[in-house]
Amino acid sequence: MEETWRLVNVEYRDDPFMNMSVEEAIPRAVGEGGSPNTVRFWHNSNTIVLGCFQSAELEVNFEACKQTGTQVVRRFTGGGAVYHDAGNLNYALSLKKGHPLVPDSDLQQIFRRLSEGAVEGLRGLGVNAEFQPINDIQVGGRKVSGAAGSVRWGTVFHHGCILVASDLTILGKVLNVPMVKLAERHVTSVQKRITTVRDELQRDVTTRDVRDAIVQGTENSYNVRLIEGQLTKNEMASARELYDNKYGSSKWNLEQ
Amino acid sequence: MSNAILLSADYKAPGGKMLRVRLKERDGRIESAKISGDFFLIPEESLSKLEKMLEDARLDERELKLLVDRFFRGTSAQSLGISPDDFVKAVLAAKSGGR
Repeated sequence: MEETWRLVNVEYRDDPFMNMSVEEAIPRAVGEGGSPNTVRFWHNSNTIVLGCFQSAELEVNFEACKQTGTQVVRRFTGGGAVYHDAGNLNYALSLKKGHPLVPDSDLQQIFRRLSEGAVEGLRGLGVNAEFQPINDIQVGGRKVSGAAGSVRWGTVFHHGCILVASDLTILGKVLNVPMVKLAERHVTSVQKRITTVRDELQRDVTTRDVRDAIVQGTENSYNVRLIEGQLTKNEMASARELYDNKYGSSKWNLEQ
Repeated sequence: MSNAILLSADYKAPGGKMLRVRLKERDGRIESAKISGDFFLIPEESLSKLEKMLEDARLDERELKLLVDRFFRGTSAQSLGISPDDFVKAVLAAKSGGR
């Protein structure tokens, strides 16, 4: 019998803090055995998402955030800051540790394997996407997607964001990208080393089109079927608790 | 006892991620250390343990190497985008005033 994974489209577009609470509640529930393996798709309106080890003070241009109405939230995984807006699609996989198709200890292998659904989906749309270690998906040398992940709570967790039709001019303003990072890649601004699905396809593609393609790419890559479902009561309660004690607080988001 | 000096370095691992080190140094020893950056490290909570271990360590390559090695063996932590040696290099870069 074909294996099924849950597909969740639960999102809080104007509340990045609740979005991030749900993002943690799901892998916790999957690891506990209370929820099935899950793929989630979601959006944030203008938001910077910091990696868990990053310093908000060093990475964020707060003045530009104020001017553009950009919020700042920290995620529980490592990696670098990313900018989300309505033209950016987020996906997250929570797979119970020990799944035969998924490596569960080496982070680099996990990133490569769990990026396959997104890579395959983008290719299905006609984008010449390829995984680029450490944690990127690139098209012709430009980054179109970044991912992060962890092995926690008995779950292999991987999430990524895909620039579908994002406003790259805001992205360049709200993030302080250290010169040392750009210098190594021989580019002078962050905008020159990233691209969007829309720009690559030269047509008005939506995040919904990309989501549908990634659902297909995921089903093909892991030989599973995604069936749409809801969050459990337990997950919702857990998300609310995480909101109250973690993601809703500036202590977690900014003071690290 | 002399005053604490603030030291900092933004260190980019070759082909990898950034380590941003902010140290308070007094008399050649680390008084406190804050490490941030866009690297990966699991378990994530282990970073604060490394920062704690750096407290009171001498800013000396050999001592730092032993300490970082002890951290990785003791915690079974896994890093990606930076090697254990990059932690040592980043801290030493702060000592030499590198940015």
